Amino acid sequence: MSDAAALSDVDTKPRRDAPAILLEASALSLRAGGAAGNRLLFAGLDLRVAAGERWVVVGPNGAGKSSLLAALAGVFPIAAGSVRVDGVELAGWAPSALAERRAWSPQFWSDPFPATVRETAALAHRRDSGWRGAFDQRSDPEVERVLGRLLLADLADNDVQTLSGGERQRVALATALLQDAPLLLLDEPASHLDLAHERLLVDLLLAQAGGPGAVVASLHDLDLAWDLASHVVLIDGRGGVVAGLRDDVLVADRLGAVFGVAIHGIEVAGARRFVVGPNPIGRGAS
Amino acid sequence: MTSLRTIVLALAAALLACIVGVLAGSSGFGLASPDIMTSIRVPRVLAGFGAGAALAVSGALMQLLTRNALADPYVLGVAGGAAVGALGAMLVAAAAGMQLSEWGVAGGAAIGAAAASALLFGLLWRRLASTATSSGGDGAAALLLVGVMIGSGCSALVSLILTLADEGQLRGMVFWLLGDLNGATHWEIVWIALAVALAVVWPTARELDWLARGDAWAATLGVPVGRRRRAVLLASALATGAAVATAGAIGFVGLVVPHALRRLGVRAAPLLLPASAIAGGAFVVAVDAVARTVVAPLQLPVGVLAAAIGVPTFIAMLLARPGRGR
Repeated sequence: MSDAAALSDVDTKPRRDAPAILLEASALSLRAGGAAGNRLLFAGLDLRVAAGERWVVVGPNGAGKSSLLAALAGVFPIAAGSVRVDGVELAGWAPSALAERRAWSPQFWSDPFPATVRETAALAHRRDSGWRGAFDQRSDPEVERVLGRLLLADLADNDVQTLSGGERQRVALATALLQDAPLLLLDEPASHLDLAHERLLVDLLLAQAGGPGAVVASLHDLDLAWDLASHVVLIDGRGGVVAGLRDDVLVADRLGAVFGVAIHGIEVAGARRFVVGPNPIGRGAS
Repeated sequence: MTSLRTIVLALAAALLACIVGVLAGSSGFGLASPDIMTSIRVPRVLAGFGAGAALAVSGALMQLLTRNALADPYVLGVAGGAAVGALGAMLVAAAAGMQLSEWGVAGGAAIGAAAASALLFGLLWRRLASTATSSGGDGAAALLLVGVMIGSGCSALVSLILTLADEGQLRGMVFWLLGDLNGATHWEIVWIALAVALAVVWPTARELDWLARGDAWAATLGVPVGRRRRAVLLASALATGAAVATAGAIGFVGLVVPHALRRLGVRAAPLLLPASAIAGGAFVVAVDAVARTVVAPLQLPVGVLAAAIGVPTFIAMLLARPGRGR
């Protein structure tokens, strides 16, 4: 084998082994409510989500976190730019084929009719089984496994209408996981969760992104964001947005400026933690 | 497998109701002369079954579409249109000095139902395609409100017609409004309408369960939201219009039957729709069998007895709705 052949091997190998880009946004701009003429949420967002990455979206209320996730899922109109899944523009996808590739979990769910936790978790599971699926959901081992991982096994036969907010949130995550798509787009998956279940969520999403999958999630808790994220999108609510590696974006000063409060970064057991100071920005922050 | 057992039970109940319905008559219980059997009792059972099935399917569809367990076929205002059509036909025929046949009343009801449906579709066509990213769902709320308004307009017209009608006509009109299978002999149309409605919605019924959880979420699963909602609305309007034209505005079937089935474990739309058809048909046939024998030889309108069962059920449902945890 010649040196040239070995060299070319070296050249192409990183390319071949580079994790697949699951989701890509270029020069993405969104407007509030999706309508032209409305307030600009942000402009010029570029991001490339590769397998194994966890992107966390942070920003003040109304900055456009939910709109971004919905736009990435294809259910929110884009003002400018493009979104590609597996390299193909959203408009080029057959909607049911796209459902195989990404699962979107909205912030709010409606539960208008009685349904068990198991039925709700399995809503989008085995989507092609048609009416037969209505008969044999009971003994699906994958559904039971996901319910178990989310500590929902004891609640499996309870009615979703009777759950607490945190329990319902875990059922929503189960529904998203059971859609069996590699890319998860989760809108506020940690809302209503207690401290222990927040850790469970982080562990689960880290494991989910460990394989060929990836996660994009909006979070309010900056510490949780630090523990989950490999990358962060920070929307400032005034039309600006930054996206990049976690350590570059989740910086106390930058966060303080965006949220308008004094934020201090401290080290706890090797992880960065963010503490909000009592004074308004400019006085307490150093 | 509770759902499967419930459907088998519903089928058995339907069979039993039809046998009782054919045997029961104002002339006494048991086999009547072949003439009465073929020209009165069997058509009446078939008409009642078809109307009950169509109303229950329509009710299940409206509940799924509006995400409201208290919705029924009449929230669309289509039945109101049918009432205006039927009573209007009676009024016009009397003014012209004609004797109106069963077909004349049914025809008037069908025209009225079609007109109300056309109005509903015309007003909502664009709105139905909207996919609100918030969970509320723009389309569902608009549908409910426009339907209720069309219904209110129709009931004002019905009051006007009742005011204009003379004493002799009033009795027939009021009976029709209550829902009456007395003399219902033309059962074919409602069965055809039911078959068409189920053919339109059943093949994609699982998507209706997704739509009930959120428009945008269903869209991410590949559901063509606008197309599905229009198809459901069309199927529901067709089934309701045909049922009301056949048997009058029988109340509560469309509300109570899907609700009871959900309680018995039939939740998934692909099962709920056919189960509603079977149980709704059985319900009306059974109630009608009681209605025409309980104070024989007088025949009660089936709607009166259906309401006697439906009203307490509705109130129990309203008060027993589980509270939200969040």
